[in-house]
Amino acid sequence: MEQKKSNEQWLLLTAVFIIATCGLIYELVAGTLASYVLGDSVTQFSTIIGVYLFSMGVGSFLSKYFNKHLLTWFIQIELLVGLIGGFSSIILFLTFPVAASFRLILYAVVFFTGMLVGLEIPILMRILKDKVEFKDLVSKVFTFDYIGALLASLIFPLLLVPYLGLMRTSLFFGIMNVLVGMYLLQKFKTEIVRNTALKVAAVLFLLAELVAFVLSDKIMHFSESLVFNDPIIYSTSTPYQRIAITRNKKELKLFLNGNLQFSSFDEYRYHEALVHPPMLAAHNPKKILVMGGGDGLAVREILKYPSVESVTLVDLDAAMTKLFSTQPVLLNINHSSFLNPKVKIYNQDAFIWLRNNHDVYDCAIIDFPDPSNFSIGKLYSYSFYQLLGRALSPNGTAVIQSTSPYVAPKSFWCVDETLKAAGFVTVPYHNYVPSFGEWGYIMAMKQPGYQAPDSFPAGMRFINKETMQQMLNFPEDMKTHQKLAINRLNNQSLVEYFEQEWGNYLDQ
Amino acid sequence: MKRRKFIQLGSALAGYGLLATSCSNHTKRKIAGEIIGASSQTGHLLRDKQFETPPISEQKEVVIVGGGISGLSAARWLHRNGQTDFLLLDLEKHTGGNASSGTNAVSAYPWGAHYIPIPNNDLPEYTDFLTECNVITGRDEKGLPVYNEYHLCSDPQERLFINGNWQDGLIPQYGLSPEEKSEVKRFLQQMQTFREAKGNDGKDAFAIPVDSSSNDPLYTSLDNITMAAWLQQENYHSKYVQWYANYCTRDDFGTRSDVISAWTGIHYFAARKGNGANAKHDDVLTWPQGNGWLAEQLSSPLQPYIRTNALAVKIIPGDKQATVVYYDINTHTLKAVAAKQCILATPQFINNRLLDNKVRTALVDAHLHYAPWMVANLTVSQLKERDGAPLSWDNVLYESFGLGYVDATHQQLQQLKPKRVLTYYLPLSTNTPKEERLAAYKRSHEDWINILLGDLKKVHPDIEEKIERADVMVWGHAMAQPLPGLMHGDTRRRLQESINNQIHFAHTDLAGISIFEEAFYQGIGAAKKVIGS
Ligand SMILES: Cc1cc2nc3c(=O)[nH]c(=O)nc-3n(C[C@H](O)[C@H](O)[C@H](O)COP(=O)(O)OP(=O)(O)OC[C@H]3O[C@@H](n4cnc5c(N)ncnc54)[C@H](O)[C@@H]3O)c2cc1C
Repeated sequence: MEQKKSNEQWLLLTAVFIIATCGLIYELVAGTLASYVLGDSVTQFSTIIGVYLFSMGVGSFLSKYFNKHLLTWFIQIELLVGLIGGFSSIILFLTFPVAASFRLILYAVVFFTGMLVGLEIPILMRILKDKVEFKDLVSKVFTFDYIGALLASLIFPLLLVPYLGLMRTSLFFGIMNVLVGMYLLQKFKTEIVRNTALKVAAVLFLLAELVAFVLSDKIMHFSESLVFNDPIIYSTSTPYQRIAITRNKKELKLFLNGNLQFSSFDEYRYHEALVHPPMLAAHNPKKILVMGGGDGLAVREILKYPSVESVTLVDLDAAMTKLFSTQPVLLNINHSSFLNPKVKIYNQDAFIWLRNNHDVYDCAIIDFPDPSNFSIGKLYSYSFYQLLGRALSPNGTAVIQSTSPYVAPKSFWCVDETLKAAGFVTVPYHNYVPSFGEWGYIMAMKQPGYQAPDSFPAGMRFINKETMQQMLNFPEDMKTHQKLAINRLNNQSLVEYFEQEWGNYLDQ
Repeated sequence: MKRRKFIQLGSALAGYGLLATSCSNHTKRKIAGEIIGASSQTGHLLRDKQFETPPISEQKEVVIVGGGISGLSAARWLHRNGQTDFLLLDLEKHTGGNASSGTNAVSAYPWGAHYIPIPNNDLPEYTDFLTECNVITGRDEKGLPVYNEYHLCSDPQERLFINGNWQDGLIPQYGLSPEEKSEVKRFLQQMQTFREAKGNDGKDAFAIPVDSSSNDPLYTSLDNITMAAWLQQENYHSKYVQWYANYCTRDDFGTRSDVISAWTGIHYFAARKGNGANAKHDDVLTWPQGNGWLAEQLSSPLQPYIRTNALAVKIIPGDKQATVVYYDINTHTLKAVAAKQCILATPQFINNRLLDNKVRTALVDAHLHYAPWMVANLTVSQLKERDGAPLSWDNVLYESFGLGYVDATHQQLQQLKPKRVLTYYLPLSTNTPKEERLAAYKRSHEDWINILLGDLKKVHPDIEEKIERADVMVWGHAMAQPLPGLMHGDTRRRLQESINNQIHFAHTDLAGISIFEEAFYQGIGAAKKVIGS
């Protein structure tokens, strides 16, 4: 009899150990994931630890309301921890897209696991109080609890994240929890109420986690290692494109259809160069038009001008502008520019929108994807620029992102020729953006006599008077002396130049 | 079976591709749609019924029968020249004839004619019209017309599925040996020579309208042999050249190269000489609804003069005036209009029934044969694509019995087109027109769908599941076949002669070549006769 009691005691203490390990692991998974997704790891970890500890306290407090069938409750809670904790990382990965409520879900998951773990320890102590002497009990339970925590904090960074990844780590521990629950069910079957029902539930939980474990491997492997170098923190397919956001220690990157749109590391170089020269050339512009630019980064720069009264943004993809109006980590990067009341977003086709537009703008920022196919090539055509001319005030200025004049000089100067044919005076310039390479822009205006500005808004990290002067200078290797065809709807010469030049470049 | 044998059998079958595919291929699901063309039944009234002549209820200076491009162009010309007392009758609900069109939620689409090439620069009436409707937006410093870019066919224009790959353009290139390529090149060069050629009378050897072409026998003698015989004579042996020539004659005239006149076959290549500030002779102008857009431009200012659902059944020439009897389809009543002048802008096989004229009837029966066509409009979602050139405006399959399809949504400007309307063209040219016509009238909607699926599955394996709707139009008498002797023989001249200086004729079958410009000038020619008399 004595022997049996002591066996049971060790068994239950092993359970404490495992619970403690698992609990801490879930917390670490949540913290890591939150800092991947939301950035700022210090904030994420401290808030998550805080919520976790607090919720454990809540659990302990609630434990006093559990009076009957303590062992049954213990096992039920154990199974529930296994389920919620096990699926926590999947839940978080999947709910990140439902942006607005992501933090809520994150803390809810942390809170529930914490609370359940917090419930378990006191309940267990009460189960064991008949079996172990009190002094002994307290010391043993807490010893196992803290050893479990130590183990978790060591194996998590050293073994689990590198070898299992976040998703499988949480699932693995979820499975452990459920297995412990099942073992206890078997061991104490005489003392458990609803034994069969609980067994069925346990088996179902186990199966679900095993399946998810197997699948997670596939999904993560596919999305992470095949397409991108860095872990994907978000991806979705809209009717228009595939959006993916990756993050590593240094930077967050946005990919559209697998093409890099920006890296948080150096996008300021691109957006400062894209936005400030035309904004200054337009002299206190009031009405601004942005086409493309669904990431809100150009708008962020535009809003630095007090003269701006309204910003009209036309971007095809509602999913994209919504993402950049709601995701905390993205709002961080674009300074919540889309939430500014001056900004109005139209999710429409740019060509159709411009054709129906009768308003006049002082500055237009045209930030379309590169002309790599015929459907985008239209947005760089003579006809498009004619409509653009109609939408620009007499002293207005437009700018067109015009691919790399270094890799694709014919493409770049073809845009220039096309703008000139459509009646614009052009000012081409370029700068270096590490993620892209040497990049080109062309300002288009109705009046000749452009003067580079003497000063730029405060807080620029890249552009100033001197860099602007350099940007206007084109060395020989960014020029072409070939006569270029104007890009028209009926010849799409630009798409051909672009294919040729980038094709050659990438073949090398 | 030996490989060679198999290939021989294969090419024999290609000729009867229609038959083969319609028997062997059966759709798994029923594709929604119908056979359009109720008016062919109305038209048959004309063939099957005798009509009385009711009392005259209306008096007009001029009545035009037929609201195709020829009739509309005649009406436009009269109107421009101050005539306001005229009437245009058409049996259909809408004018347009072979240039009519339809529309659905995705796009407008053509039921027949779908494009015009860049006009020749020596056709002022025609370029005036195009300027009126803003297709020509101005002139450059050299005086060349500047074309509206929204109306010029957007790039990519054409692609050909050949040797397992989509190539750019319709002239076979992909997978050809150097010898074959040089033969293709020689053919194109010879066509260029014809394009520039002038006859001993100083006129262009090949001109538009055809009647302004040179009479130099050096060229007109080409009207005595078939295109295929001419290719043989000129030592073109490459199957690619032969296919290309045959494709072109079927495309423009619904007629195979081994029956069409060589003069007409060459005219297809050699008569286009247009030059614009931003377009060349091989560029084309097109709209989602095809030439339906041009038909609308012609008809919209003329609405008060147009009476549709009006089937002309009898034209009786008289001393002072002619009587036009028509059946009002709306009210099921016969009506008679007296007209001082009358223009019949209807095809001659119809005129045979309208006019009691044995001489004309004999001429028409002997020399004018009308090729039947099938046109289908398919609303599709995103299709699987084979390798090579991307979806273009005109998409042709090498050695197919069809002519491929035109993307009606091609001129739409938006980046993304989740759905498209594809217009599939099939000239029924394997057997004689009469045999083909009888067979065509017997086919069900499902038969037609099986035929076109058998063709298009080669390039879009998933097309059957992606078709949301497919409507079919059968043109029993789509266009007159320019067989040897028609262009430079006597028939057309005799049929173009007015009756009593009172009844005049305007239709593309009188030109022998069924293209927009001919219809346009047929109309003007008849209107000028009205004004002159
Ligand atoms: C499938 C197809 C594709 C074509 N593609 C092209 C193309 O891409 N480009 C091009 O230039 N040409 C094309 N054509 C040629 C086209 O036929 C001509 O361009 C032109 O539209 C012919 O005009 P029409 O007025 O001479 O004849 P039709 O169009 O035949 O006009 C005759 C009119 O008379 C009406 N009518 C007939 N009988 C009666 C009656 N008894 N009473 C009252 N009205 C009657 C008809 O309804 C019709 O409107 C195509 C033709 C077809 C069939």
